[in-house]
Amino acid sequence: MDRTGISVWEAVDIPHRKCLQWRFPARSIWVERVETEWHVLSLPERARDRSAYRRVVARSQKPASSEWRHYLHRAGGLMQPSPVLPDRPVVIRPDRALTLLPGQSTVFYLGIPVWFRLSAAGPRAARVFDEPLSVLTRTWFGDPVTGELCWGLATRLHHSLDSVDASVDCAICPLMIENESETDLDFQKICIHVENLSVFRGRERLWTNSLHAVFQGPDQVTQIEITHEPPGFEEGLVQVSDARQPAAGWSIRRTFGMLKYFTDF
Amino acid sequence: MFFQQIVNWVHTLSPDVLTRGLRVAITAVLGLVLVRLLAVVTQRYLMRKSTLQRRMIVRKIIGYSGFVLVVLAVLGELGVKLTALLGAAGIVGIAVGFASQTSMSNIISGLFLISEKPFALGDVIRIGGTTGIIQSIDLLSIKIRTFDNLFVRIPNEKILSSEVTNITRFPIRRLDLVFQVDYGQDLLRVRNVLAEVARDNPWSLDEPEPVILFSEFKESGIEVLLGLWFAKDDFVSMKNSVMADVATRFDAEDIRFAHPRRTVQPDRPHRRAPSRNVAARTRATPR
Repeated sequence: MDRTGISVWEAVDIPHRKCLQWRFPARSIWVERVETEWHVLSLPERARDRSAYRRVVARSQKPASSEWRHYLHRAGGLMQPSPVLPDRPVVIRPDRALTLLPGQSTVFYLGIPVWFRLSAAGPRAARVFDEPLSVLTRTWFGDPVTGELCWGLATRLHHSLDSVDASVDCAICPLMIENESETDLDFQKICIHVENLSVFRGRERLWTNSLHAVFQGPDQVTQIEITHEPPGFEEGLVQVSDARQPAAGWSIRRTFGMLKYFTDF
Repeated sequence: MFFQQIVNWVHTLSPDVLTRGLRVAITAVLGLVLVRLLAVVTQRYLMRKSTLQRRMIVRKIIGYSGFVLVVLAVLGELGVKLTALLGAAGIVGIAVGFASQTSMSNIISGLFLISEKPFALGDVIRIGGTTGIIQSIDLLSIKIRTFDNLFVRIPNEKILSSEVTNITRFPIRRLDLVFQVDYGQDLLRVRNVLAEVARDNPWSLDEPEPVILFSEFKESGIEVLLGLWFAKDDFVSMKNSVMADVATRFDAEDIRFAHPRRTVQPDRPHRRAPSRNVAARTRATPR
């Protein structure tokens, strides 16, 4: 293997008649250049190994599958893999009930699974494909008439950066929450519009923009602000992908799910 | 030869007739082009963000009323007195109105439908036994395309008096699977298996939560309802996958579906009371 850890996201020139494998904890991506085409295969990883690496393999060792996808792109050469955030909002369900008391504030570090994007670098840059690296559930946020389709993610709410594992397929989203209301803020779920966020690469970790939310009461609109600078938790962060839909923030009455929505029974 | 005949015929016409003919032609052509242009400009620039249904209604209003205005202008150019024509049209209108009560009823129903908006272009609706995608909503009828690619026209009057189900009005739906499991099954295990089926299905939403309900004791088994929420576009994938998943998992877990059956249990053999004939024979037997 020629790259491990965070360096799997570096640009690479795929050798002629060779196949490249990006191996992530839950998925492997295989890419091969054949004349004017990119051949791509995405397979789930069943091993419990959490390692990530990139390696060059001979064409004879590539997996035989009918699910290889073919993309026509005349310019070969340098390929740029980049971590991008999912294409829909992510609803985060904490593993434990947590209540933020009135007047309190805190920072959570949320691990958002990233997608793998492969682009052809150079003067004829073009996006080849996007592929999720983890399986997220589908979920609905809001009432059945006006809500929105999201990805669901059950995760821990980390208060400290030390407890967050460095992972190449997750971007850490720092979320600062202030409870300015006079009521308790019960976290059952939090909807994060990840399509508005960029991804930054650090020494060991991937990051998203920081978020700042002010909760002013269950009947008030909650304003979520996006900090456009790289998060200040690590020096020398480099932006590796843009937001799918750039925005300054979003406001939504129910960013914090405090109610159990009806199931019609 | 033919062209020469036309030229000769034109030469026989008086300049007055020629001028009038030219004006009629210009009025008709310019009028129709203007109507068309107005419709296009309205659609492209003024109603860019409107719904398909609203755009279609406005396009038809512009088209029909513009056509009537052009016809009236052409008739005016031809020297037809419009007041007399309109008077005659009123009388004819009353006669036609009496003769076409059904059409009028459909038109009025159409206006109600347009204002009430129970569905829009592209929605999937069910009326009676017909299910399909709405292709057009007109004053007299709506046209739908069924999933087996049939064209169905339904009069507005019938829609107004029928129960209409708009299947795709809301973004998510619930798929209810109702089946029976055999008596004697461990219901807790059945419930757990169904919960796993719901959790593992890639199309099923985890929120709103799936519904698992043991609804009734039936003749042959216990009726179970499995309700899974899904995004409305995923209906076919969802239904196929969840049916297959339930069958596969039940098979793997040795959970049996209930089938209609009748248990016949013969009485235990025992001494019966002698029948009357047997008793009579017994009495008649000489000792």
